[in-house]
Amino acid sequence: MGNLETKSTVEDEEDDHRRSGLGVSSSLPARARDAATEGREERPSTSSSYSGSGGGPVIELVNASLLRPDRSYAPLSTEDPGGSSTGAAVVGLPPAWVDVSEEIAADMQRARTKMSELVKAHAKALMPSFGDDKEDQHAIKLLTYEITDVLKRSEKRLQKLSSSDPSEDSNVRKNVQRSLATDLQNLSMEFRKKQSSYLKRLQQQQEGFNDIQMSALKRSEVFTREREREIVQVVESVNELAQIMKDLSVLVIDQAERTQRKGGMVMCATVLVILIFIMLVLLILKTILL
Amino acid sequence: MVLITLVRDYIGRMLQDIPGMKVLILDSSTVSIVSVAYSQSELLKKEVFLVELVDSMSKETMTHLKAVYFLRPTSENIQKLRRQLANPRFGEYHLFFSNILKITQIQVLADSDEQEVVHQVQEFFADFCAIDPYHFTLNMQMNHIYMLPAVVDPPSSHSFCDRAVDGIAAVFLALKRRPVIRYQRASDIAKRIAQETAKLMYEQESGLFDFRRTEFSPLLLVIDRRDDPVTPLLNQWTYQAMVHELIGIEDNKVDLRNTPKVSKDQQEVVLSSEQDSFFKSNMYENFGDLGMNIKTMVDEFQQITNSNQNIQTIEDMMKFVNNYPEYRKMQGNVSKHVTMVTEMSRIVEERKLMIVSQTEQELACNGGQVAAFEAVTKLLNDETISDVDRLRLVMLYALRYEKESPVQLMQLFNKLASHSAKYKPGLVQFLLKQAGIDKRTGDLYGNRDLLNIARNMARGLKGVENVYTQHQPLLFQTMESIIKGRLRDVDYPFIGNHFQQGRPQDVVIFIVGGTTYEEARTVALHNAANSGTRFILGGSVVLNSKRYAVSP
Repeated sequence: MGNLETKSTVEDEEDDHRRSGLGVSSSLPARARDAATEGREERPSTSSSYSGSGGGPVIELVNASLLRPDRSYAPLSTEDPGGSSTGAAVVGLPPAWVDVSEEIAADMQRARTKMSELVKAHAKALMPSFGDDKEDQHAIKLLTYEITDVLKRSEKRLQKLSSSDPSEDSNVRKNVQRSLATDLQNLSMEFRKKQSSYLKRLQQQQEGFNDIQMSALKRSEVFTREREREIVQVVESVNELAQIMKDLSVLVIDQAERTQRKGGMVMCATVLVILIFIMLVLLILKTILL
Repeated sequence: MVLITLVRDYIGRMLQDIPGMKVLILDSSTVSIVSVAYSQSELLKKEVFLVELVDSMSKETMTHLKAVYFLRPTSENIQKLRRQLANPRFGEYHLFFSNILKITQIQVLADSDEQEVVHQVQEFFADFCAIDPYHFTLNMQMNHIYMLPAVVDPPSSHSFCDRAVDGIAAVFLALKRRPVIRYQRASDIAKRIAQETAKLMYEQESGLFDFRRTEFSPLLLVIDRRDDPVTPLLNQWTYQAMVHELIGIEDNKVDLRNTPKVSKDQQEVVLSSEQDSFFKSNMYENFGDLGMNIKTMVDEFQQITNSNQNIQTIEDMMKFVNNYPEYRKMQGNVSKHVTMVTEMSRIVEERKLMIVSQTEQELACNGGQVAAFEAVTKLLNDETISDVDRLRLVMLYALRYEKESPVQLMQLFNKLASHSAKYKPGLVQFLLKQAGIDKRTGDLYGNRDLLNIARNMARGLKGVENVYTQHQPLLFQTMESIIKGRLRDVDYPFIGNHFQQGRPQDVVIFIVGGTTYEEARTVALHNAANSGTRFILGGSVVLNSKRYAVSP
C-alpha cells in the first residue's frame, strides 16, 4: 500500500517536470540531433551484414523476442515511441556486438523450435507404419543437419564476441558471452540426449522387427513344407496319369494292327495290278525295240 | 528457507519485469544482501550483465543497458543518485530501495531527474543480509558503539539505532506482520531500539504496517549481547561456527588467500546452505562426524573418477562427456570442503585448541573454581598458546569467578599482561564492566536459582556426550521460556501497552551487539525439531571470538 502511494507521487512530480523536460530537449543543439539520426540510419546496415538468413533484420529480431517473451533481447527501438517519457536526448545506440549477441540468441531460439519439431519427427518415425518411411528418415536427417549447423554457427559467433579492451563494456560483453555459452551448452546437451534416446529406441524397434521376421520365416517354412507335400502329391497323380496314358496308347496300337490285316487284300490286289502293268510295259518295250 | 526466500523473491521481482540487458547497481550494504541470496549465474540468467557499486566513478556511457538500482535509502545514496541522474549513463533507470523512503527524498530524486530516465521507483524491503534460512545480520560498521553510553558519541549511536530499527522493520515488512515488542530491561540500547521500532511500526508508518492480524501476533525480542558474553568467546566445533571462528566467514564467503598450499580457484570459496547440499547437511555437525562424512564423499568421488578413467567403448565416452560438467562441479565441491577441513585441522594443531577448548568449556559449564584457576594458570604459562587464546581464557575465568577470589583474578591479569604485550590488559576489565555479573539479566551459568543448580548437577552426573560441545548458549533458555510463555515481565517488559495472549508462533530475536553461529545453530536445530514456534535470529554483526574480544 505504501508502495502505490510512493509511486503515484513520483509520477505526479515527473508530470510536472515532463513539461520542463520537453523544453530542455527541444533546445538540444542540432548537432546532437543529427548525430542521433545518423546513428539511426547506420544501424540497419550494420545488422544486415550479420544476418545470414534473409528478411529484414530488425523485423526478425522483433519476432524472435515475441516468441519467448522471457528471453527477449529487445533491441532499442529506432523510432521514438510517441510522447513517452524517454526523452529524445537519450536515444542510445548499442554497440555492434549487441547485434551479434541478439542474433546468436535468435539463432538459439530457432534451434529450439527446430528441436521440438525434431522430437515430433522422431516420434512419428518410431511409430509402426505400413508405408515407406523414407520420407520420415529424410525429414529427420534434414532437421538434424540444420540444428547441428545452427549450433556450430552460434558457437563460432560466440567466440568472436569476446573483446580485448579492458573497458566496462568488456565486462558486460564477457558476461553476455558467458550467459549465452551456458545456454548453448545446455541446448547442445539436450540435443545430444534427444538424439541418443531416439537411436536407442530405434535399435530396440529393429530388434523387434527381427523377431517378427523370424516368426515370418518360420511360418513360411511351414508353408513350403506343406507345398512340397502337395507338389509330391501332384507329381504322383501325374505319374499315374502317364501310366494310364501309356496303357491307353498300347490299346490304341493293338486296335491299329487289327485294322491293318483287313486292308491287306486290297494291298495284294493293287500290288498285282502294278506288276501286270509293269509286265505290259516291258512287253511293249520288247516288241518296239525288236 | 524463510529469510532467504523473501530476499530472493524481492530481487526476482525487481529484475523480471524489465526486459533486455541490465546493469545492477548496488551500494556496499546491498551488495552483501544480494550476494548471499542470488548467485552470479542466476543474475546472468535474468540478463544482468554487469554489477557495479554506486560509488564507482566510471564515466562510460552504455545506453543500451538498463540500470537497476538497489540501494539503502540513506542521504549519501540519494546524493549520489542525484549526480548520476543529472548525467545519465544508461538508457533507463529503475530505482529500488531497501527500506521506506521519505517524501523529501522522493522529491529530491524527482527534481534531479531532468532527463526523465527514471521509469519506476519502488520499495522492496530487503534491508537485511539473510545468511541462513533463520539467521540474518545487518553487517554494521562500528558495532562496538552499542557498548558505549549514548552521550559519548551521539551521532554514531543514533545511526547505530537507526540501522537496527531499519533492519528489524524490513524483516517484519517482508514477513508482512506487525509484532508485539519486548526488550531486555537492563539494557538501555535495547530499550531504545525497541521503543523506536514501536514508534515506527505503530505511529509513524502505522498504515504501512497495518497487516492482516492473525490469531497470535509475532513477538520481537530485543536483547543485548552483554547478557551472554560467554558464547562469542568460546571456540567452536561445529562446521559453520568453526570455520567462522578459525578462518572467518563474511557474507557466506571464506577468504582462504592466507592459507598455505591452496590452489588458485579455492582462494575464495562460498559456504552457502542454499547452493551447497553437502554444506547444508553438515553445517551443524561436529568436527568428528564432519570428518567422516567428508571421507565418505571423497570415496564416492574417487569411485566415479576411477570409472571415468576406465573408458572402453564409445558409449562410455559419450557418457563421460555428457556427465563432465557435473563431475567438474563435484570435484570443485569436494576439494573446497577438503581444503577447509585441512586448514582447520592445521589451525587446531597449531594453536593446541583441543586443550584450550576443553578448559574453556569447563569454565563455561562446570563448577570448581580451584581446578579452573589451576588449569588457566597452566595454560597461561604455556608459551605455545597464542595470545588471543590466553586472553580468552582469562576473560572466561573472570566472567565466571569475578566475585569469588579477586586475588587470584589479579594474579591472572598480571600474568596475562606480562606475557602478551599485544593486547591491552584493560580489555578484560572493560569486559567485566560491560558484562559483569551485575549487568547480566539472564542466568548465564545456571547458578542463580535452585532449579537451575539442580539441573546442572543432574547434567554433571549424567555426563556429556561431547565435552567440546557441551555448552549451550543462554539463548536456548530464553527460547524455552518463550515457548512455555514464562518469559518474565520483570526482566523483559513489553513496550507500551502491548500484550501477548497465549504463546507466539513466530518470534524474531534481535541481539544488539551481534549473534554467533552457535546461537544460529541452536535456533535452526530447534526449528527443525519443533513445528510449533518458529524462531528467527538476527543481530548487528556475526561475532567470533577475535571480533568480540579485541574490537573495543
